[in-house]
Amino acid sequence: MKTELTISTEPIDEAALAKRRAMDDGMGAVVCFLGVVRESEGDDAIIAIDYEAHEEMARRQFELLFDELSQSWPVESVRLVHRIGIVPVNEPSLWVEVVAPHRAEAFDACQFLIDEMKQKVPIWKKPLPA
Amino acid sequence: MKFWSYFRDHAGCPETEIEIENGATLAKLHEAVCEQFPKLDGSKNSTLKAVGLEYEDDEFILSDGDEVSFFPPVQGG
Repeated sequence: MKTELTISTEPIDEAALAKRRAMDDGMGAVVCFLGVVRESEGDDAIIAIDYEAHEEMARRQFELLFDELSQSWPVESVRLVHRIGIVPVNEPSLWVEVVAPHRAEAFDACQFLIDEMKQKVPIWKKPLPA
Repeated sequence: MKFWSYFRDHAGCPETEIEIENGATLAKLHEAVCEQFPKLDGSKNSTLKAVGLEYEDDEFILSDGDEVSFFPPVQGG
């Protein structure tokens, strides 16, 4: 399985990511997920979220999750971008793409990756009040 | 020792060095850290612990020079 992981303070450029998509002729499903910063955190209005990562450990934990994913689903590739630093409301903090032969495994693998990331990858958020 | 997220504020520093007896477990280190930084004691049950880049449990035996990270539940995405 091919993997590409980016952890960066740069804004996520969906168009550029889509343009670089490469998939085998046998692949029939591409699932993309975009996580976007909402205007509130609980009951509080916010203007942005400041994401902090233990980057080296985050890379290691993503690597372990990619390994686990590749053993459970016949996925051709996974690309994941997590933006860190200050991400304003209405801008994406997370972009995930899973390419697989069929939609069921692509959806399941994508869901697995995001669920597990939220348990294991050392990234934290600090909401910035409006 | 490295502290991440709001644990850094609770500890008042991003990192420190702690001396502990040979063969001590991660749980023992956690107790020592909470004694030294009492504000971290309130989050004791939700503290995640890593040695190097891997999560480890309380029974993990520490070695000289291990880099240990303590942090609150993660919130990526």
